[in-house]
Amino acid sequence: MATVASVPRRGALARHRATRAALYAALIAFGIVAALPFVWMILASLKTGAEIRQFPPTFFPQAPTLANYGTIVSDPELPLELFYRNSLFVALSNVVTTLFTSSLLGYVLAKYRFRGRQALFWFVLATMMIPAQVTMIPGYLILLQLGLLNNLWGLVLPAFIDAFGVFVMRQFILSISDDEIWSARVDGASEWRIYRSVVLPQLKPVLATLGMLTFMFNWNAYLWPLIVLTEQDKRTLPIILTWYQTQRTAQLELVMAASVLMVIPVLLVFAASQKWIVRGLTLTGGK
Amino acid sequence: MLVLAFFEFSPRRSGTPFLGLGADNPFVGLEHFRQMFDFADTAPLEVRQFHTALKVTLLFAFLIVPLNLAITLPLAAMIESVGRRSRVWFRTVFFLPVLTSAVGVAIIWGFVLHPQRGLLNALISRVTGGSTVIAWTTDPNLSFLGIPIALLAVSVAYLWQDIGYNLVIFVAALQAVPDSVKEAALVDGASAGQRFRLITLPLLKPTILLASVLTMISAFQVFDLFQVMTDGGPEDQTRALSLDIYQNAFRFQRMGWAAAVSLVLFLVVFTISRAQSRLLRTDWEY
Repeated sequence: MATVASVPRRGALARHRATRAALYAALIAFGIVAALPFVWMILASLKTGAEIRQFPPTFFPQAPTLANYGTIVSDPELPLELFYRNSLFVALSNVVTTLFTSSLLGYVLAKYRFRGRQALFWFVLATMMIPAQVTMIPGYLILLQLGLLNNLWGLVLPAFIDAFGVFVMRQFILSISDDEIWSARVDGASEWRIYRSVVLPQLKPVLATLGMLTFMFNWNAYLWPLIVLTEQDKRTLPIILTWYQTQRTAQLELVMAASVLMVIPVLLVFAASQKWIVRGLTLTGGK
Repeated sequence: MLVLAFFEFSPRRSGTPFLGLGADNPFVGLEHFRQMFDFADTAPLEVRQFHTALKVTLLFAFLIVPLNLAITLPLAAMIESVGRRSRVWFRTVFFLPVLTSAVGVAIIWGFVLHPQRGLLNALISRVTGGSTVIAWTTDPNLSFLGIPIALLAVSVAYLWQDIGYNLVIFVAALQAVPDSVKEAALVDGASAGQRFRLITLPLLKPTILLASVLTMISAFQVFDLFQVMTDGGPEDQTRALSLDIYQNAFRFQRMGWAAAVSLVLFLVVFTISRAQSRLLRTDWEY
């Protein structure tokens, strides 16, 4: 494209270079603005309490220290390991159940002919349109009846079937050829075996994407865990973070260090694998 | 759910064995929905709060969508036109907030906007030479163009978090535009502005429609940012519908009323989804 642009007129090349420089400058400026809140958080977590309370605030820490992280890790009120375990349990369980039910149901909806298939598919689509605020009250009452409140399973069981996941899987499985499935069937493979050895291996890329989206969604979830989990030691990271913020309003350096510990590790993992996530988002246009 | 909206329900009261309804949780018919149209000053507090919440939510959604598109479209065109490696870099920077938990976003922005220790006031003080102490999220008397500043503060945080999402979608859509079209415009000597206006925008029309509807639907449902950044304050200026539903149901134990309000939210979202499918029927290919 660059060569095409430089051909037509004299002076066009110089002008082209100037536009490119302006383009990069604008992008870098935007990028700095976008990254600034993160940088501000990380820098604040390295400051001493005294420096945080200075007015006007400093940007770069005068004497960078990791002491805040030490305070947080050894804070008996904030057993981070426990909350990490809770969050990981919920997120990973949901990944496993969602991948299993989505691929199975998606396969059935895409490849089996039975009465009411279309109706079932529309039903799945319809549940995607209902906002979480609408389902949370009946969902809460159901968990109350089942005695699953204050139980991490209360975050896993209601999400056993994920409409978005079923939809994505069905769309993807439609593109798998019927011939392969039929030839396996003719060879005497059981239905279960076909699902496992013919369908699942071809789903690898979309399973990876859906798995990451599910993990991220559950790791970051706030509203539903806030309603279901009322005992401190059952809670997941986002809720603990807001609780910690209200406990340490005067020690923002500790709150920021806690935020860094809870936000950054996941961010790094996903930044490294964002190729998959981006592909998933553009593949489905889902949110 | 549908049933609950017609009862004066609270799980703390006992009812008949059947779902706990009846007895102390009486059937009130359409009473909740009738109350919603009570605009008198004497209306019960939860009714007046519902009116406020509906106004705040609509204002928020109609603020977010145009601002989001006004930022993401030009930005996507810019990112698409740089080299492959820088493109991945910039995309990552703008996409990181999407991956951050909303609670993290709320806490980070709460700190950026902190009156005494925040980055924004520090920057303003540096530029003006004074010492600015503006309580962005808690002063009820601040407004810009009639919009409360606290609501704008939440909007800015939400935009920051949400922009990367539409950006990724637009960059992908732009990459799908055939090179022959872009090059033809270049050879014809179209300026960058003309190319954006006459080629990018018309070709992306279906994507833009889809993105704006998805953005609006999710703007209607924002909860985490409102709860953590402002908790509806100051003076209910940022009381979004989702927050209103949550507080009624789980803080004040007015579950029947909360269920009725959530049905209103559902109707709004549903209407917009319908409008979307109608608009998207103009789909075409190049």
